[in-house]
Amino acid sequence: MLSIILIVASVIFFPGVIVKTKALFSGRKGQDILQPWHDIIRLLKKGSVYSTSSSFVFQLGAPIYFATVIVAALFIPFEENNCIISFSGDFVFFAYLLGLGRFMIIISALDVSSAFEGMGANREAFYSLLMEPAFFILLGSLAMFTGYSSFYDIFASLHYNSYFSFIIAIIAAYVLANITLVETSRLPVDDPLTHLELTMVHEVMVLDHSGFDLGIIKIANNIKFILFSMLSANCLIPQSLDLWMRIGILFLMQVLFAAGIGWFESFRARNKMIMNAQYILSINAVAMILIFAVMIIKNKI
Amino acid sequence: MNIILFKVALLLSFGMFFIPKKIKYSFGLLLHLMLIMASTSWAFAVLRGTILTLGLGVGTWSGPITLVIDQLSAYFMLIINLICLCGILYAGGYLQPYLPKKRSVFISLHLFSFLWLHGAMLLVVSMQDGIAFLLAWELMSLFSFILVIFEAQKEATLKTGINYLLQMHLGFAMIMLGFLIAANQTGDLSFEGVNNFFSQSDNVPLFLVFFAGFGIKAGFIPFHSWLPRAHPAAPSHVSGVMSGVMIKMGIYGIFRISSLLQNNLHTIGIIVLAAGIISGLLGVIMAIMQHDLKKLLAYHSIENIGIIGIGIGMGILGKSTGSNYLMILGWGGALLHTLNHALFKSLLFFTTGNVYYAVHKINMDHLGGLAKDMRYTSMAFLIAALAISGIPPFNGFISEFLIYNGILTQMSSSTFSHSILSVVSILGLVLIGGLCIYCFTKAFGLSFLGTRREEHPHPVQEVPAIMLVPAFILITCMLAIGLVPSFFVNEVVGVLQNLTHTTVNIDPLLLSLNSISYVNMILIVLIGGVIGLRAWQRSFVKVAVGPTWGCGYTAGDFRHQYTPTSYADSLRELADPLIQYHRVYKSFDEQEIFPLPKTFHTESKDLIEEKTILSWVHLIVNYLPKAGIAQSGLINHYLIYPMLFLLLIGFLIVLNIL
Repeated sequence: MLSIILIVASVIFFPGVIVKTKALFSGRKGQDILQPWHDIIRLLKKGSVYSTSSSFVFQLGAPIYFATVIVAALFIPFEENNCIISFSGDFVFFAYLLGLGRFMIIISALDVSSAFEGMGANREAFYSLLMEPAFFILLGSLAMFTGYSSFYDIFASLHYNSYFSFIIAIIAAYVLANITLVETSRLPVDDPLTHLELTMVHEVMVLDHSGFDLGIIKIANNIKFILFSMLSANCLIPQSLDLWMRIGILFLMQVLFAAGIGWFESFRARNKMIMNAQYILSINAVAMILIFAVMIIKNKI
Repeated sequence: MNIILFKVALLLSFGMFFIPKKIKYSFGLLLHLMLIMASTSWAFAVLRGTILTLGLGVGTWSGPITLVIDQLSAYFMLIINLICLCGILYAGGYLQPYLPKKRSVFISLHLFSFLWLHGAMLLVVSMQDGIAFLLAWELMSLFSFILVIFEAQKEATLKTGINYLLQMHLGFAMIMLGFLIAANQTGDLSFEGVNNFFSQSDNVPLFLVFFAGFGIKAGFIPFHSWLPRAHPAAPSHVSGVMSGVMIKMGIYGIFRISSLLQNNLHTIGIIVLAAGIISGLLGVIMAIMQHDLKKLLAYHSIENIGIIGIGIGMGILGKSTGSNYLMILGWGGALLHTLNHALFKSLLFFTTGNVYYAVHKINMDHLGGLAKDMRYTSMAFLIAALAISGIPPFNGFISEFLIYNGILTQMSSSTFSHSILSVVSILGLVLIGGLCIYCFTKAFGLSFLGTRREEHPHPVQEVPAIMLVPAFILITCMLAIGLVPSFFVNEVVGVLQNLTHTTVNIDPLLLSLNSISYVNMILIVLIGGVIGLRAWQRSFVKVAVGPTWGCGYTAGDFRHQYTPTSYADSLRELADPLIQYHRVYKSFDEQEIFPLPKTFHTESKDLIEEKTILSWVHLIVNYLPKAGIAQSGLINHYLIYPMLFLLLIGFLIVLNIL
């Protein structure tokens, strides 16, 4: 239960912090930290416009995407505090569940017969297919290191008996942070604020969603962000500290991560489209380093 | 009693040729039901009890043919019966337009072969004796050949059929060779003989012979080239049954042989695993490049056979290290995936058949926007597409989860080489999963969604209800496996424990599966809840319909949509060496003042087929005409040839060689 409360608490301020940082770096005062949520609430109250070419699939896309992300949140533990659902191999289910949401959002984009959205859909499918191996190698090597295969057991026993675990944890957190950026389509893969539809990935897919549907998609994106950053925080925070200390560190890390993204997005441009595949494959390569590190620590090599 | 029913059904099938055209289909359905009743009762009896042995009352020169049904046979029998039932139900609607056009004898032959294919597959899984097994195997190949060439008036179909027949006989020869090698040493031409052979000598060569033979039927790369030809040529109910169960007979054979293996398991495991990963990855990559919906599905069968191969390979590796848990989970995943693939692949072929029935086109470049006119068909296709991509809450996920779970649980304790193999197979499975999502968003999104890419001469309508009945049956089964996985996994594990004579405690797995079914329920309730909430929200806001947002411009027409070629383009950049993609078009001439209409399309080649089969064929075809020198057309030359031959014989005799 604790992890759900932490996810809700983080998701409230996380998008605001990114926007605020970016505003400060560009010399503006910036909006209120809760402004992204005001926007979402406004969207939830609004009516919708549906494309004439859309079918029942378009109606299903947004609710299923939202539901999958909410259910995925039930899997995220906060170290030894149990999460709501945990079973061996649950990270496989977690990844495939997000796959369901992705599948639905991709076909809703194809349903409106727009070339722009088709482009976004294609890129989303392509990048996630390159990204997924990194996630599985990462969790697979953590499973090899700890001997367990559920999020809860992995994170509960990661720092249990050796300090080598921090080597693993740092690489894992780095890979997870990069996965976060790709999964939620932030820089350097995609710039959510650009207005060049030709180069967008995620935002261009939801161009034709409006009102309630767009609102829940935005909520889902924010939650997805928190899910992955919670996972990297789980890797890094040592369990020997007491609970309040760890919650404090968690929030500090979340704020730093958000501010870091804001900083990063203020000072660099997005990758060339053609470089993205290379960038994502390089994350996979880092994940491969992790698995060899685990093998060395476990005396397999 | 049941054996009489079985025999009567097969004997009565000859009556098909002598009854009026109108009642042929009903008669065929009746005979199928007789077969299903007989064999299902055996299968259930075996799954609850022990091995069943039944005399068929006929014999070959090696003795009377007996059906020996153990749990593995029973499991495959149930799959065969379910898919054949759906196939014959679907044929009831699909064949309607052909009835007035085709001559009575062709319809009879088709229905007759369909029944005998069903019967032959039931016989294949219940034969222990080598001769009888090969006989049943041959019957299966022959009748499926007749089914493939249903539209034999088209030359391409006939050519495909002959290609299919040849490849099947190559496989047949390999299997026969396998049995003969074993019989030569042990004197027993049966699976028992193979078992004895395995206990005495090196297992690798004989396994490879069998793997090649059964692999041709199953469609492992590089033995896959018949699949993408035969499936598009055959009518949809036949492709559904062929892809759903007939290729699984190859898997059945590999299972039988794998369960007998006794030494060199490590090498064999690696071989099967490699074949699985390569088939899986190449199959799905080539599927993405296809424009023809049925060809795409055919390549997907190769991919799914690859997943099954990964499961079997992991199982053999588990057996080699003495890890029974991995063995049961790997083989269990493979066995469950066999059932799952039978369900969703036949559903995909049936719904594709619906599309063909409604618009008479199957190329994605000409489809689009069908979801609005064919609501139920597109829903069924969508569900099957989600299931085949291994996405919860459907059945495809469960079998992949078993394989993942098996690999993950023993990863921390395994040796270096096993860890590497585990990581490679996880990578393979994940990449296959991602590519599958890519492929099926393309297949579904571009043929069913958006706007029509072409006007159709007739108004597009949903197909008759009879053609949707099999879809409902299949979807019910798929959801049952997805929502109550522990029951089915228990059955599969029971079959395997019986086959391998081991007992494994799978309680932790069942615990996971129960959690999965709870989460699936939560997911479905939540989706319903969100949709309900939106409906409530809509009761006090305005919902409008308008044109698609055109990014500042007015939205374009149907030509602005993404096409199959453009959707596959990002992958093409990565996978180009494998797929040999090229554009086919004629560019505008500088002198061309009044340009004529131009066409453009893209093609991809099957590199494996090109290198392993076609290059050899081309070589032979190039050299054979050189022999034409001898064919001069002059009678005096032709008279010299027998003369030379006699002289040659004479010399050989004189030199004491003959």
